[in-house]
Amino acid sequence: MSTAMNFGTKTFRPRPPDKGAFPLDHFGECKSFKETYMRCLRDNHFDSSSCRGESKEYLECRMDRQLMAKEPFEKLGFKDLMEKHAEEIKPNPDQI
Amino acid sequence: MLLPFLLRGCTAMHYVQQALSSTRLCINCCNIRGVATSSGHLLLRRTPQRFLNQSRGAKTHKRKQQNQEDDWKKRNKTVLTYIAAAGVGMIGLSYAAVPLYRLYCQATGLGGTAVAGHNTDQVETMKPVRERIIKVTFNADTHASMQWNFRPQQSEIYLVPGETALAFYKARNPTDKPVIGISTYNVVPFEAGQYFNKIQCFCFEEQRLNPHEEVDMPVFFYIDPEFDDDPRMARVDTITLSYTFFEAKEGQQLPLPGYS
Repeated sequence: MSTAMNFGTKTFRPRPPDKGAFPLDHFGECKSFKETYMRCLRDNHFDSSSCRGESKEYLECRMDRQLMAKEPFEKLGFKDLMEKHAEEIKPNPDQI
Repeated sequence: MLLPFLLRGCTAMHYVQQALSSTRLCINCCNIRGVATSSGHLLLRRTPQRFLNQSRGAKTHKRKQQNQEDDWKKRNKTVLTYIAAAGVGMIGLSYAAVPLYRLYCQATGLGGTAVAGHNTDQVETMKPVRERIIKVTFNADTHASMQWNFRPQQSEIYLVPGETALAFYKARNPTDKPVIGISTYNVVPFEAGQYFNKIQCFCFEEQRLNPHEEVDMPVFFYIDPEFDDDPRMARVDTITLSYTFFEAKEGQQLPLPGYS
């Protein structure tokens, strides 16, 4: 916490998270997804943009196991991934 | 023999008479010329000058004093009116200050109030700023009496503003008793903290760890794309996110920011 008790300095005010706190994953249900994500990060020199698919999968795991409130992924900033996914699905009906 | 004495007496009388008449003539002359000679004062009784003056100026003097008093009264009244107006103005200002100060705080972000315009729907529509790569380093701390082993699982992550990212911390309870922890965070540099938005994390809520239990704690966050537009942030390339865990006692009610 900010300990600079100077008159007039702006103190840091921590803000609560927008969607609240993650419930703890006591049983390690999503641990494998986490490991995949961490491995991806290490391989890509910790570049977050390359591992967004894995992070999306981890959040999906959490939602499936009631460890996170279900939300459409567009609201979580994965709109581009969802659009790419939708484009990939589209050609399939033509094949039928 | 008596005759010369008589003659002498007559002539003396004649001389005195002549002197008197000459002085009278002299005085008349002087009076005609308008010069009051001292001898004139001595010889003729006239009304002294100062009595004449007093009787002439008594009325004007009183009038002048009256005017002056009126003047003072008028001036006093205007001064009093001004002072009363200033007093009422001050009271009004002190009432108006409350909403005005609130507006000022919102505009400048002083006092930690949420800067207006920070909304959660932004996540959906924001565009990542590809040119600006920011390194986010992670730090983990515990309070001295907190026995958890708390550490980040990655030392840094490279990301761009406008893109959501996931990071992990790990916490382990090595003791034989369940421990409840509660955490808070800090962002360095200070000004970058307003652009650091957490969508979901593990802070500000009690987290309970059973004996010898280990959990992964994720933080889902993003940096506001407006970070790139801020001139003060032009040289900021590294942001450090630091979490600190404290031990929470059973049943203790902590004031949580934004929740109460």
